[in-house]
Amino acid sequence: MAMMTGKQYRDSLKKLKPEIYLMGEKIESVVDHPAIIPHINSAAVTYDMALAPEFEELMTVNSDLIGEKINRYTHIHESHDDLVKKVKMLRAIGQQTGSCFQRCVGHDGINSVYSVTFDIDRKMRTDYHKRFIEFIKMIQKNDLMISGAMTDPKGDRSLSPSKQADPDQYVHIVDKKKDGIVVSGAKAHITGAVNSHGHLVMPTASMKEEDSDYAVCFYIPVDAPGIVHIFGRQTNDLRKCNCTMDQGNAEYGIVGGEALTVFDKVFIPWEYVFMCGEYEFAFELVERFATAHRQNYGGCKVGLADALIGTTYALAEAQGTLQAAHIRDKLTEMVSLSETLYCCSIACSCQGYALPAGSFMADPLLANVTKLNVTRNVYEIARLAQDIAGGVLATAPSEMDWKDPKIGKYVDKYMKGVDNVSVETRLRLVRLLEAMTCGTALVESMHGAGSPQAQKVMIQRRANFEHKKRLANKLAKISEQPS
Amino acid sequence: MVRQNPKYKIALKYCGTCNPYIDVTRIARHLFNVIKEKDELKLVPISEKDISIIVILCGCFRACGNKEDVRNKSDKYLLIAGESLMGEYIAEKSLPSSLDERLIEILEELRSNRTP
Repeated sequence: MAMMTGKQYRDSLKKLKPEIYLMGEKIESVVDHPAIIPHINSAAVTYDMALAPEFEELMTVNSDLIGEKINRYTHIHESHDDLVKKVKMLRAIGQQTGSCFQRCVGHDGINSVYSVTFDIDRKMRTDYHKRFIEFIKMIQKNDLMISGAMTDPKGDRSLSPSKQADPDQYVHIVDKKKDGIVVSGAKAHITGAVNSHGHLVMPTASMKEEDSDYAVCFYIPVDAPGIVHIFGRQTNDLRKCNCTMDQGNAEYGIVGGEALTVFDKVFIPWEYVFMCGEYEFAFELVERFATAHRQNYGGCKVGLADALIGTTYALAEAQGTLQAAHIRDKLTEMVSLSETLYCCSIACSCQGYALPAGSFMADPLLANVTKLNVTRNVYEIARLAQDIAGGVLATAPSEMDWKDPKIGKYVDKYMKGVDNVSVETRLRLVRLLEAMTCGTALVESMHGAGSPQAQKVMIQRRANFEHKKRLANKLAKISEQPS
Repeated sequence: MVRQNPKYKIALKYCGTCNPYIDVTRIARHLFNVIKEKDELKLVPISEKDISIIVILCGCFRACGNKEDVRNKSDKYLLIAGESLMGEYIAEKSLPSSLDERLIEILEELRSNRTP
């Protein structure tokens, strides 16, 4: 069984016992908790779509490693075509869920670790890559969902890992044993953490020799002893408990269900250790992961934007404003902003290249430009959507009042738009737009895959200003200074 | 009369250099000088037959010049793609000397394979 259905994915989660807390309570069953069900539904779409014939071309691939058809989310990119198809796949799924479907982080993690373990082995004569290939085979055979756990809490950001007052601000090795290592620390903002089968933990920053204990990469099942998940709050999360329509996107929720994931003296067997002290490769891993993940955002966020633009268009129609020239202009602007992001992701994929391991990665400069544009364009798209929606976005009565036998008639009377569109339709569109543009949903576009400054650092590093200066010198007839 | 061995043909293939990360013209100039200095090498266009070595010179890691039909034109090829030589990272300033080293290795191999 190399590909699971959404149902099989849910059933597989029932067999796990991860330790999860939310609002002071321990969650006993992850698949039954209203705060987490939408995120599981969203991830389940990545399984069901792989089995749908219309998405097969994007969602599946034949694995040379296990000789079977697999879900693309467990695949190591072998060509430019793979990179492009990843982006297209993300857009297609985003259109279906209107929310984060979480699985890309682990996918980017396995691709980055695959290539970096090859490079480590080549230089250090270790055997991480061989181990990692066996791990990938296991992931592919079982169609597992892996979280990509990179971001450490970081404590005092001005200090390196080994200089922190509290060593646990970065995940680190606390003991090395004959059969494995013991790690402590935490990873923050981990997407899909509580509904994944396991975590692929990677270092979060470049390291120096004194940080060797922090240069650690490993896989660990989600319910291993010592792992504690603290599920994050989201805008309007209590609506998940007392209503459906007012959630906006009740089936798939908003964002990726992020959690603070604590590692309290967790034992990792050697077969799952893929970096153990090779500090000089930490930056390489971070850069490759960041590139792969930033490549995504002109795929998934454009899929979400497609749904958002549709919502805004339908709402304008419901409110009788669709024919106004400025509304049509704003809707067109939303499309232009969104497709610009898609162009970026497709471009960085086409300009990608092969790594020594034989796998492919996107062009780092263009991938970082993609994500930096996402931190701007998605906000502008949301601003235009809110502009078109009107103030009702922030003031609409609740679904309970609309359903109330006494006052519901007033809601019906005064929330009415054009004749042929029901109040329920209008309210549903308003709530969906609210879920997609207010609060937590937008922050994901700003800080997911790294904050804007992280992209600027990478862009600056690869800008090649000297080349641009040479071009200027040539045009201005300035002779080169002897070097 | 001493019979001279025929020269090894060497050709250069550029990627197109749309937005090069490295100064490819500087590396090409260096290569031309090396060829001039080595009697056994002869620079030919890539359309020539029986090429011994092809140097594929690409401005970035994308390596647009690295195509199968280009590589198949000779038994040996060297690929520079951005700051890399044959897939290994090499800083731009060290690329010419690294290219020289690999060229010498290939020439030695070709010499040893040449029938007396």
